[in-house]
Amino acid sequence: MIESILKLIIQIMITLLIAPLFTGVIRKMKAKVQHRVGASVFQPYFDLTKLFKKDLVVSGTASWIYNLAPYVYFITALAAMCCLPVVYGLTGFSFYTDLLVVVYLFVGGRIFMALAALDTGSTFGGMGSSREMLVSALVEPALFIVIITISARTEIASTNIADIYKYMAVNTGTAFTPMNILLFASTLLILIAETSRIPVDDPATHLELTMVHEAMILEYSGRHLAFIELGTYIKQLVFMTIMANILIPAGFDNSNFILGFGIYLLKLLVITVLVGLVELNTVKFRLYSIPNFAVIALVISILGFFTGFILR
Amino acid sequence: MVSEAIFETINRLLSNVLLDSKLLNENEIYTEILPGNIKPACLNIYSNIDCVLIDLFGNDLSQSHSEKIIIYYTFSVRSSNTLITLFTQVPKDDILQLESISGEIPSAALYEREVQDMYGISFLDIPDSRELVHHGNFPLKVYPLRKAFKVNTRLDFERREQEFVSISGTGVFEVPVGPVHAGIIEPGHFRFSVAGEPIINLEAKLYYVHRGLEKLAENQNFMRVLLLSERISGDETYTNSLAYCQAVEKLGGITYLSERALYTRVIFSELERICAHLGDISGLCVDTAYVFPAGQFAMMRRWILILCEQLTGSRFLRNTNKPGGLRRDFIRDNEKIIVECMDKLEKEFKDSVNIIKNNGMFIDRVEHTGILSREIAADLNAVGPGGRASGIKTDVRKEFPYAAYGKLKFNIPEHFNCDVNCRMNVKVEEISESISLIRQALEKMPAEGPVHIEIEELIPNAFAFGMTESPRGENVHFVMTGENNTILRYKVRTPSFCNWPALCHAVKSNTLTDFPLINKSFNLSYAGNDL
Repeated sequence: MIESILKLIIQIMITLLIAPLFTGVIRKMKAKVQHRVGASVFQPYFDLTKLFKKDLVVSGTASWIYNLAPYVYFITALAAMCCLPVVYGLTGFSFYTDLLVVVYLFVGGRIFMALAALDTGSTFGGMGSSREMLVSALVEPALFIVIITISARTEIASTNIADIYKYMAVNTGTAFTPMNILLFASTLLILIAETSRIPVDDPATHLELTMVHEAMILEYSGRHLAFIELGTYIKQLVFMTIMANILIPAGFDNSNFILGFGIYLLKLLVITVLVGLVELNTVKFRLYSIPNFAVIALVISILGFFTGFILR
Repeated sequence: MVSEAIFETINRLLSNVLLDSKLLNENEIYTEILPGNIKPACLNIYSNIDCVLIDLFGNDLSQSHSEKIIIYYTFSVRSSNTLITLFTQVPKDDILQLESISGEIPSAALYEREVQDMYGISFLDIPDSRELVHHGNFPLKVYPLRKAFKVNTRLDFERREQEFVSISGTGVFEVPVGPVHAGIIEPGHFRFSVAGEPIINLEAKLYYVHRGLEKLAENQNFMRVLLLSERISGDETYTNSLAYCQAVEKLGGITYLSERALYTRVIFSELERICAHLGDISGLCVDTAYVFPAGQFAMMRRWILILCEQLTGSRFLRNTNKPGGLRRDFIRDNEKIIVECMDKLEKEFKDSVNIIKNNGMFIDRVEHTGILSREIAADLNAVGPGGRASGIKTDVRKEFPYAAYGKLKFNIPEHFNCDVNCRMNVKVEEISESISLIRQALEKMPAEGPVHIEIEELIPNAFAFGMTESPRGENVHFVMTGENNTILRYKVRTPSFCNWPALCHAVKSNTLTDFPLINKSFNLSYAGNDL
């Protein structure tokens, strides 16, 4: 019992420590191609520290939902992260949870954010909520196919993370099968859509009218904003962890903690660079083209399923 | 010669109604009409001569001539380099109203509302009589451009409801945006009526940066007004001051300027155009989140700004123009750096344009977005790249050749698809033309010579137009002199004033997320519109 609590604490610490880094890396990549020096890769950490120190400005018309939503958003993201195995032998509460729980934790957080955005009655909040719900509804089928395929691999076809985890520990050698690579590609697209990155959304835009996720959080400031930002960083880390550890489990069965953690970080950085490359080479979609993007993710995941089980 | 032919035609057409008619400054026809006859006279001109309404403004002459306000209607005959101005004297405190012409000439609508706000002249049967310049906080019956209004007057703050066109129906929402925006841009309020994402209607409420520029110019020395003209709009500094200088030169009796000054003016105008267009293309890339080319075009824009600074000490070419020529010979000994910069720019620009044109995702964003139909563009007198992308081939540099443009070879790009892509292509092609113009000007320029002719004295109570093609399009400045080298009336009409209503039409039936892109493809100036 004490050991699991200790593990949970360590995992939370690791999550909070590394989550903002990858956004910093993507920003640095963007700066470099523009011939800019760019901010340090640790800038997201500085921003968070700054935001935690700042005062809150809360609209007079806001209800309790508005004040609660950032915490719910942050906690659900953190809980989702704790469901996943990070390094061999280190998982917060993976033995009690299910991969579908991860999805529904996000849904819970998102519902609160969407309600909070409507709560203040500002112009852009409602717009952002409706767009965010559209995007998430569109990519959900692809995410489910990915999860079903992952679970179908295990011996008893279970979505329980413990079973998936067991399977991984034995099958690290089969990391680069066509199925895994297709699922990996599909999850990369889902990651882009879920974490509001180009080409679905532009996290760096100043144009209120084009925002999706940013429009929802436009009213937030100070501590609230810091929790939302941190929640988004963790959400990004969750998808990257699914890709790094579950889909490409190479090097996962390392019993040396430091080495295992190093390999994990390296894999995350590779995924970050991939996301960065997609950002640099694509242009933001028209809003009505986002369904096409979601369909691509869905088709790739279905292909992954077929290559894994039918065409074998 | 052509102007004289048109002069004869006008005298014939309006022979029953005209009180007085004269041809001034070679190509400006001024015809006086009685207030009751102004509408038929305007329509007569508009239907019988191939012309467009380019300006409509008032002028309070109470102090010098009589107790009357004069309203000017300026038409431009683009095919034959002539301006026709009909004017009428309206008794100030009379109940007499002018008949509105905006039912027949749609581009007059905004001008008439402006005159209503500024001079208190009401137009009969005006389709839209709401306030244009004021925001419901300006006291009623106070008319700032009348002579009785002192420039330092402190006004009471009033609160009236502002009216917007409201569209109702199931699922139709109003989305108010601005005047304060999320980026560091100028203020303007946009009221969208949307059905979900598609925009049904857009109303732009501007004039948040109204500085009373035309009022400030009243009774100032003509050299001080030059400083005002440079501050109309930041990225059109040079062309605005050039338009003003050209008007003042006509009033100062200068008919011939030194060759070197004329070619330098071409070079500076084109540098400003390249700079503005590069900024616009970069902005289009930023708005579509296309990071790399955005950085490329922004970098090239900096090259031009740096070049301008090296040449003149000002990145936006401020304090370079002077009525009669230029303040200094800026080009001497700098020919080499200009040529080098143009060579470098041409190569890099070509590569970057290839990158964006070969990206299908980018083209998908800009194609068929923000279509401004040719009919609407013609009705609203859309000018500059906005008009040229809709098949309205108009360019002051060709039609009213100023500086040394008459002696140089260049093409006016023209496109017919009317979308954001076309407006971008027009700008891309204009940059190439500008580079070629700069090279030609450097070649043809005489090696030595003065760049300035002193203006001793302005002809009192005279008037003249100065027109230039700014990066955004046709730029019209009207200057009327008073006694002792002062300016009595300075009326500025920038291209932004014409194109704002065009933008409001172009966004209709597009999605809300595409608005910033369409807005950027026009890239209109708020300060240049609000004055």
